[in-house]
Amino acid sequence: MPGIDESLLETMRLPGTRGASVVDWISGLALGTVGEAPGGDMEATAAETAELARFAAESSALAPAGGAGTGTDKEQPVQDVIITNTDSYHLLRFVSTDFDSTVFLHLWLDRDEGNLALARIRLADIADRLVLG
Amino acid sequence: MTTAPGIQDTTAASLDALAADAATGALSSERGIVYLSAGHVVHAESALTPDLGTLLTRSGALAPDGWWEAVDHAGVQHRVARRLVDSGRLSAGALELCHLGALFDAAYFVLAHGGRPRRFRAGAAHWLGTVRPVPVATVVRESARRRELLHRIWPEPDIDTAPLARVPDAGATGLPVRRSRILDQVDGVRTATEIAAALGCRTYHTLVELRRLAAGGLVVPAAPGAPPAKAGSGRPAAAQVDPDTALLRRLRDALEAL
Repeated sequence: MPGIDESLLETMRLPGTRGASVVDWISGLALGTVGEAPGGDMEATAAETAELARFAAESSALAPAGGAGTGTDKEQPVQDVIITNTDSYHLLRFVSTDFDSTVFLHLWLDRDEGNLALARIRLADIADRLVLG
Repeated sequence: MTTAPGIQDTTAASLDALAADAATGALSSERGIVYLSAGHVVHAESALTPDLGTLLTRSGALAPDGWWEAVDHAGVQHRVARRLVDSGRLSAGALELCHLGALFDAAYFVLAHGGRPRRFRAGAAHWLGTVRPVPVATVVRESARRRELLHRIWPEPDIDTAPLARVPDAGATGLPVRRSRILDQVDGVRTATEIAAALGCRTYHTLVELRRLAAGGLVVPAAPGAPPAKAGSGRPAAAQVDPDTALLRRLRDALEAL
């Protein structure tokens, strides 16, 4: 049954992974990290990506057509945030839990070696198993 | 049991000194207790924040019977957390996420406001057992960062401790789900801690939403003696007298006394 560290190590097995972390999008805290961070600072990266994740999670414009307020907030209406830049990809995957948690997985992929579509599917799977076992 | 060398001027300085000594034990301060194992933080609790049992059972993530079974069978051996996972009630990841949430939440209040340490009980361990140890420096740094984050959102700290009231006629449409649920609990009587307990949410995360609501002109500290803004919303200070929480706390105290 995977914990935070096992889940992060699994992301490192994806082709092109530079680094990954589990981040709280309200406080900006990195609960766990593996590999490298852009600029070398995991904590600063977590705080910055948390801001981005929070805007996405709270945005009514980015919510499903039914609106963000339809279900319980245990199920995140927004699932992923994907950023592409000239040399890498950033994937943020929200983690749904029954209890109060506001976390996402952040995967940083090398653009030449990484496969964005595959990584997105695998990251969703890793996020599910982190909580469900 | 009290060791004077562990006690410094502030709780943060005490934790630093205890970490340098790779100490094991419980440091209590005015607002809660931090448990260390080999110089790492393994648990923290505060009367101002919901504990792990409250977060898990109130949300429905774990049935109260399941929580009690683990406490009954593994409390004395300090292996309650392990038992929750081994019995298949909770995944290891879910336990770590929820426990770290509770740990950093309680630690924030223990370390906030320049909290002063009272005593260090060397060798004391929490009945939950070890889940995911965190370096002391990480906890101290995170607590300071959280303080700054609240200040940036809305620099009036009375929101954190006062009974809170809704601003009459303030438009509250289109709020994010979390913020809206918290606003619904603001009744002129409850404090942030009581709202967090009622919802089974971490208190710091509730403070963030309440400060955003205050910044948006939707919530203010209740005027002393003012009647509740929402008549019929019910049970003032429900969090204080909640039987589940009271029972959990009594049980914890009894286990710690063993």
